[in-house]
Parts: sequence; C-alpha cells; structure tokens
Amino acid sequence: MAARCVLQSARTALRTVQSELSSKGLFQRTPGFSQLSFLGSRGLRHVVEKKDGKMTVIEGVLEPTSERPQPPNPTASCPIYRWNLQNKYNYTDVLLLSQFIRSDGGMLPRRITGLCAQEHTKIVICVQMAHRAGLLPDHKPPLPEGHVPKPKSNPPLNRYLTRYSVKSVKPIYKTGLKWCKKRMSVGHPALKNNIRYSPKPLYIQH
Amino acid sequence: MSSFSRSAQQWATFARSWFLIDASMQPPGKIASMCSVRLQGKHKPIYHPLSDIGDHVVVMNTRHIAFSGNKWEQKVYSSHTGYPGSFKQLTAAQMHKKDPTAIIKLAVYGMLPKNLTRRTMMQRLHLFPDDVLPEDILKNLTEELPQPREIPRKLSEYTQEERDAFPMLWTPTNKVIQIWKETSQVPLDQRVLDTIPSQKLHSE
Repeated sequence: MAARCVLQSARTALRTVQSELSSKGLFQRTPGFSQLSFLGSRGLRHVVEKKDGKMTVIEGVLEPTSERPQPPNPTASCPIYRWNLQNKYNYTDVLLLSQFIRSDGGMLPRRITGLCAQEHTKIVICVQMAHRAGLLPDHKPPLPEGHVPKPKSNPPLNRYLTRYSVKSVKPIYKTGLKWCKKRMSVGHPALKNNIRYSPKPLYIQH
Repeated sequence: MSSFSRSAQQWATFARSWFLIDASMQPPGKIASMCSVRLQGKHKPIYHPLSDIGDHVVVMNTRHIAFSGNKWEQKVYSSHTGYPGSFKQLTAAQMHKKDPTAIIKLAVYGMLPKNLTRRTMMQRLHLFPDDVLPEDILKNLTEELPQPREIPRKLSEYTQEERDAFPMLWTPTNKVIQIWKETSQVPLDQRVLDTIPSQKLHSE
C-alpha cells in the first residue's frame, strides 16, 4: 500500500512536469527519466532542472534527511509501535502528545499521522485529559480580534484524569448503598493495559 | 537518641510537633489521610487511643486542591439540620466556592475515629486557603511533609533543549502536505512546516 502511494505520487509529479513542458512547448521530452527514484524510500523531494544544450532533465531528488535518532522498530506501520511506546504513555507525557495536535489544540487526522486506530483513540483520550488538566496552555483556539474576555466569577478549578467534559457531567445526588453505589469515574478504561510498576491494580471507579 | 539525657529524651518523645502540608494541586483525600494519621498520633510508636498524643497539622493552599476525575461536578455534600425543608445538597465546586477549606475539613472529620477525641483533634487541624500563614503558627512549625502526588509539568515548562531532545515520531511527506492543503480548511500548522528542511512545496 505504501509502495502504491509512492508510485501514485511519483506519477502525479511526472504528470505535472509533463503538462508544464507541453504548455511551454520549447524543450524536448527526454525519454530517460530516472525510473528508479520513485521505487526508493518515501521522503521529501525537491525538483531539479538540468540543461545540456537542447536536453532538459527534470528530476525529483530525495532531500538528505537530517540526522535524527532511528526508531528501534522501523518496520511497524504505526509511529507508536515503531518507537515501542505502546502501553507506556499517559496524559502527563505532553512532549509526545503535542506531536499529534494542531496549534489550536485539535487532533491531526489519522491519515496524516499514520497512527493505527486503537493508538489514535488512546492519544485522543490522553490529549483530552491533558487539556482538561491544563497541561497544554498554549494550544487554545484563537479568540476573535478585539475580544475582551469577561471577568470569570469562578476561578478555574484544578483537576486531573477527567474522563468526561466539565459541562456534560451531572452531580450524583443519590449515590446508593454500598453494593449498588454510583461511582465517580477517573481516568479511562482504554489505558487499562498501561504498564504499572506498583502491585496495586488500576483504580478507575472511585 | 541514646546520646540524649533522660529529660531531653522524654521531651523528644512526648512533645507535640507542628506539621505543615502544602495542598496545592493535590487530591484532598490523600491530604486528609495524611492529616488524620498525624492528628491521632498513629505515626508514633507510643500510640494509644486514650493517650492524647496527636500533633498539630497546618494545611496551606487548600484553595488550590485538585480533584481527580469529574468529582468537582459529581461529588455532592449533603446536610440536614433536622428541621423540615432544610435538606441541602451542594456539589464540591459550589462548596469550595462558598468555603475553600470545607472540603479538606469534612474529609479529615470523616477519617478520624468517631469518638469524643475527634473534636479535640479537629481543633489541632489548621487550614488556610492560601499560603499566607499567621506569625504565631509560622513560629511553631517543625516539619514539612512531602506532597503525595507528583505534579505533572505543563508543556510551557519544558525547556527548548528538552523539546529538541525528544524525537519526532512521524514526519510529513510532500504527498501528505498536498492532501492536507487540498482537503482541509484548517491552514497547515507551522510546526508541521518547520519539520521540512527546506520549504519547497509542490503547489505554491
């Protein structure tokens, strides 16, 4: 599937280049395009034009990637599995979560980031919890210009591991007897497989 | 200590200490359990329920406690004076707005033993909503207890070196940027554009 995408991208690149050439109508079309470059690895390329007299060679050259640390498991499809971070991250790992969010706090789509479905939902849950805990103060949606925020009557309350949004939750007026108590949920069951170094189990219903 | 004289050893064993706890960004239940242990004197090997050997506990920054989950909205404190029509139910958020020390006070009251010594132990608990403490209490303090919960760091508190040291898990390619520009109304994030070494894009 990745190879098909690469081939498609190379074909569209070639098509745009050919359409440009035909519109200009000045240069000969060279038969010897480097057929091998789009069978290589994915990466960013820039267009390079070379002229030898009447012949023009237009090629997409792979850019040299800067020296970045290599993932321990490069053959996996999901970035979390590539770096072996499954079941190891939480809402506090803001450096990890900030790589998958936009500047106004929303999530980047799965087809862009390449995450698998389960990890994408886990990241969404952790990002929501981090926003509600106030750990991402700079990723707020931009306010319209000239907008003066109203003075808040209640200062914001500190919270963490909030599963539901603040406005959607109703108070539990009747908690019930011990055997049928209405519990308050903390954290999220999607993160129940996270590695725990203490013998106590994860305590989700308080 | 064996090197102390008898009177000094006696004094060190039976003196009433004053503990200080900072409750900012801490869950009130954990703070209350620490307080109740020290108010009863259960942290001392000479403990007995009848001997009044509890210590004083001073809790500051009770206004900045942090509940886990949605407890600010879900937890309800009920009270009834006995007269008809006086059943009041307040959520934790409303209670905290009315009195910033009430949540910890009620939590400690519920954790102490349910006997007559409870009221004297509550008198030895001193709660302050902010970190402004009166002078006479400041002079009495002997020990500060560590906070039970590790406060997580915000993204703005990380230095640029730490952010650079953390590797990028995924990198965008030209094709991805093209899809983004074609399909999304949201403009492309500057952070995503900054990962490209040189800003050479197809459709500009």
